[in-house]
Amino acid sequence: MRDVAIIGAGMIPFGRRDEDGLMDMLAYSSLNALDDAGLGDKSVDAVYVASMGAGILQHQTAVASALVDRLSLLPAAAEMIENGPASGGSAVKMGLLAVASGYYDTVLVVGGEKMRDVTGWRATDFVATLTHPLAEYIYGVTLPGMAGMFTRLYMEKYGVTREHLVQVAIKNQKMGALNPYAHVEMIITQEGIMDSPHSVVNNPPVADPLRLYDACPVSDGAAAVVLCPLDMVKNAKKPPILIAGFGQATDTHTLQEREDPTDLKAVTLAAKQALEMAKLKPSDIHVAELHDAFTILEIAESEHVGFFKKGEGGKAVAEGKTQLGGTIPINVSGGLKARGHPVGATGVAQVVETVWQLRHEVGKERQVKGAKTGLTVNFGGFGNNVVAFALKRVNQ
Amino acid sequence: MNEIPVVAHKCKNCGKIHYPFHDRCMNCKAREFEATKLEGNAKLLTFTQIFNLPWGFDQRFLIIGVAEFENGVKAMGQIAADSIDGLSLGMKMKALWKPVRVQAGEKVYGLMFEPIQ
Ligand SMILES: [Zn+2]
Repeated sequence: MRDVAIIGAGMIPFGRRDEDGLMDMLAYSSLNALDDAGLGDKSVDAVYVASMGAGILQHQTAVASALVDRLSLLPAAAEMIENGPASGGSAVKMGLLAVASGYYDTVLVVGGEKMRDVTGWRATDFVATLTHPLAEYIYGVTLPGMAGMFTRLYMEKYGVTREHLVQVAIKNQKMGALNPYAHVEMIITQEGIMDSPHSVVNNPPVADPLRLYDACPVSDGAAAVVLCPLDMVKNAKKPPILIAGFGQATDTHTLQEREDPTDLKAVTLAAKQALEMAKLKPSDIHVAELHDAFTILEIAESEHVGFFKKGEGGKAVAEGKTQLGGTIPINVSGGLKARGHPVGATGVAQVVETVWQLRHEVGKERQVKGAKTGLTVNFGGFGNNVVAFALKRVNQ
Repeated sequence: MNEIPVVAHKCKNCGKIHYPFHDRCMNCKAREFEATKLEGNAKLLTFTQIFNLPWGFDQRFLIIGVAEFENGVKAMGQIAADSIDGLSLGMKMKALWKPVRVQAGEKVYGLMFEPIQ
């Protein structure tokens, strides 16, 4: 197997992009990544495109074939990857395996989602199609609903409090306000969303005990990376970032069939595989992008990947350990909470952000000083398919 | 309509109960199952009140939970309550078979849990 480097990373600002369709966003972010890699007019061998909803929301299939044509990358190999909210992570993994195996030398991976094309209830229904059709979906359960039931159990078992959740939201929205690619750029306070009498109006329940500011927004967006074998990187203008490890694991489709529904086994396994392959311990990681579709998930994942013991993640947030300058800065991009969560784009966007962090390119206000190692966790379904990457800066 | 048609699947080899259906036992990989009815009342394991409902629902909110039956089957269902204020983890629920949504003009039946006072 060959070592695989990320030599290009590109993104477009997430948010409500009324003027752009899914194909536009995939094309723009791809061009940003190809330009960042300095490929010029050179082609790529293969293109992997992640989208969870193109078929449902845009009523468009075979999007990867359409994209290589639009980008004049013919006759590059091309395919779509649909793996729920972990589609982006899966696409990066497919690109990684293709290059590591020696089959392809230059690969473009792009993930995108256009969710604001449809009304909120259609978008909610679209994401809910990942639940079990007979045992869950028919009841009207949504992803916020799954997260609400999980949160109730996690609070009960581990003593996570409303204040801990609020602290995740405050931290991530503060970082999002500094990130030009973020959907939400509004700074919030504990007074505004928890303490004041107005907070019941500002921050209504969406899926008890989760409230509005516990959930990520519904966003449009796309992100892309270019991969090639590390030993083919010559005279790079930017430090190549090594995909030092990856991991992926699955868990039961329904939450109720897990022995302990608060135990996110697939997160633990995926992160463990990624870190072991990279020969890193959780404490060796300098910056992490965790899948905070809901505030509780940032706390739970920070424990499951091994940054904190079970039950200590909430306290760690309150103590500032996960903020910029803390022992393990988490989601200094703003995370899904503030950057947004165009589902197919998210797993790729986490990798793009980490590449920028490890190249020390994000600007003083958000940069984790001297960061050399990063971990990303892309959480599909409700934890039933999780993809993790460990990235390392390579000094040439 | 009181007979609940939901069927759980008991592994003929090791006895593990599955719901929903799996083609092989999660425990021993055996492929033969015995159809098992939901038995008795259920214990509420977790619940939530959802306000942003998906396409196909007219009401303002839904209360949904997971409960465990006396024979160990765990299942999701809607909860018949006006608010979640009276609900608590571990409380006893009676299971009914009722319309849970309307799809293409047709009522879809499913599990409805009712708190036992
Ligand atoms: Zn068995």
